Amino acid sequence: MDLLPTEEQSEIVSTVRTQLKRDFDLHTLAQSADFSDTAISPELWQRCAELGWFGLGLEETFGGVGYTVVEEALLFAELGAHATPGPFLSTVLATRLAATSGLTDLAARLLAGETHAALAEPDGDADAVIGNSVTGRFRITDLAGADVVLFLSGDGAALVDAATVAANSEPSIDVQVPLSAASVEATALCSSEGSELFDRASVLLASELAGIATATAEQSTEYAKDREQFGTPIGAFQAVKHRCADMAVRAEAATCAARYASLAVANGQPDAAFWTHAARTIAGDAAITNAQTNVQNHGGIGFTWEHTAHRFVTRAQVRSRTAGNRFSHLDELLEQSVPD
Amino acid sequence: MNLDLTAEEQAFRAEARDWLRSNLPTEPRPPEGQEMREFDLNWQRTLFDGGWAGINWPAEFGGRGLSDIQQMIWYEEFAKADPPFTLANSCTFVGNMHGGPTLIVNGTDEQKSEYLPQILKGEKAWCQGFSEPGAGSDLAGLSTKAEIDGDCLVVTGQKTWTSYAHVADLQELLVRTDPDAPKHKGITWVVCDMRTPGIEIREIQTMSHVTDFCEVFYDEVRIPLANVVGGLNNGWRTAMSTLSFERGTGFMADQVELASTVERLIEQAKVRTGPDGKRSAISDDEIRRRLAVARAEVAALRAMTIAGISRTARSGAPGPEGSMIRLFHGELHQRVYQLALDIIGPEALRLTPVDGEGVWTGPYLQSFAYTIGGGTTDIQRNIVGERVLGLPRA
Repeated sequence: MDLLPTEEQSEIVSTVRTQLKRDFDLHTLAQSADFSDTAISPELWQRCAELGWFGLGLEETFGGVGYTVVEEALLFAELGAHATPGPFLSTVLATRLAATSGLTDLAARLLAGETHAALAEPDGDADAVIGNSVTGRFRITDLAGADVVLFLSGDGAALVDAATVAANSEPSIDVQVPLSAASVEATALCSSEGSELFDRASVLLASELAGIATATAEQSTEYAKDREQFGTPIGAFQAVKHRCADMAVRAEAATCAARYASLAVANGQPDAAFWTHAARTIAGDAAITNAQTNVQNHGGIGFTWEHTAHRFVTRAQVRSRTAGNRFSHLDELLEQSVPD
Repeated sequence: MNLDLTAEEQAFRAEARDWLRSNLPTEPRPPEGQEMREFDLNWQRTLFDGGWAGINWPAEFGGRGLSDIQQMIWYEEFAKADPPFTLANSCTFVGNMHGGPTLIVNGTDEQKSEYLPQILKGEKAWCQGFSEPGAGSDLAGLSTKAEIDGDCLVVTGQKTWTSYAHVADLQELLVRTDPDAPKHKGITWVVCDMRTPGIEIREIQTMSHVTDFCEVFYDEVRIPLANVVGGLNNGWRTAMSTLSFERGTGFMADQVELASTVERLIEQAKVRTGPDGKRSAISDDEIRRRLAVARAEVAALRAMTIAGISRTARSGAPGPEGSMIRLFHGELHQRVYQLALDIIGPEALRLTPVDGEGVWTGPYLQSFAYTIGGGTTDIQRNIVGERVLGLPRA
């Protein structure tokens, strides 16, 4: 048993981190991107594809890099830590669905970053159907510029040609995650039954949320060391120091739970669902609480649009409500039998 | 990263499970006095005879020399075996978790060969003499003084919050040997025989009705200089190594046990009537969600424990990160028993012992110790803030 990354895994994390620092600096992105359209530029998306990020956890027989969901989750933790925008989750899942359904061309185009995938989930519509045909009311993220839409629920997943989805764009709480709503009646390019993709999404999101919890804990700690008031760094005051300590503990709990869950899923363990729901709960709460506390720790500057603190707040809110939410995961967790 | 158990670890788990099934005491632990002491020491002897004492202690000191993962597996199997007592409530705790490990790192050969086998075999019970009325969170401010007289230290002063002092044979004692040095530099860690003349022990009743809490008075108590561990005036460093053990694997048994407690609580919530007086407790939305959160949190605690073990395995010694686990666990432990009282309904008015089968209110009252003992949560937060995150001291 070992819950620390191997050398090879650390190498992956450090490569991803370097790339994200260079190309996904939040301040630069915030100034350059036009959020009424896609969250990130096609060139940048292409570069992520070239680095193999979309196929990191995809088997080599499907054209992937051949690692597992464990390494994929490490990537998502970094995406969370950098509040990286873009349809990473839908692309990774759409590629898997296309590849396992025999749509190898589509899978290859998604892997190459040429085809873009949006993510759709039922929008308060309990009767929505996701299968060979897709019907119901859905909310869609990252639709602008997308060629296909991945419809996802706990019962199944389907890929639909984006041209057949007529959606209205809506203001999004997170401007870097463009939001639309649509009534859909479409035929799927391919589909799958069951919760496999949904569960994989949950694990990756747990990891992304853990990344948000970690980054906000670090941002607060750095600020508490730099910012001086009353003639001393504010981190010397217990009120601030203890908030930072609590943030670090939440981030650690979230990271450890998310890693454990990704390993349980990769191993196909009987307790994989138990750990997935547990990790989603812990990481979601940690991300939201830490992101909120991070704003508070920064005082006035933390409330400004210019500062990046609010981006973690809205990202945490969006991601913790993607592929289930706190309540659905808690309810599911209690249904699981105890791991031996 | 992996969750694999080696063949050896799997065999160890099966062996532990089998052994516990036929050797676990079925009678309840006596709540106090010499009977309690005998029960605790008997269990330690049983463990030793079965080859389960000092699982992660080095083999050269009588331990099994196994990994922290195996130590964790042992605790997991113990918790699953539905024991009628908890491992942390024992007069063998300090010897196994503080005194012993400190001697392994800092003791002389003579000290090791004298004390370590006694601890493992259940021959001697240890207690801790750290806190004083005037030195709690500010431990280094302790003032119990020790003056050198010939080949002895002569100790005068007072210690407090000393669990099991009244039944202990030996004590890990911190005394001030240099009143003129800066406060961290004039302290000595010494083994004190509790039968030495000049020691007076008074029991203190706790809010959980447990009476194994004591205060200890020293009036010119003579302790051989040969009992000094880690060098004269070097006691702070010696004490810190003790505390890092405590923050490392010392509370692992408690942490593992809590997962079983949450599962037992879920079972209780299914069979007990809930707050509406009609449906089961688990049908209540608030109770159901709090149970689910507790389940998620003990799972996270387990993952943190394993990550802690991974970190120690790489660095060689437990670091300050252990305080994160301690902090998370202490507060979680309290939340679980607060939830328990909401689930057991009218039973919440009925006092139970701290230990035993189906007890909830006793452990609830005892749970307040979890955010105070071994460094309050405020101190743990300081440690995380300053030593893990590198924030400045006040």
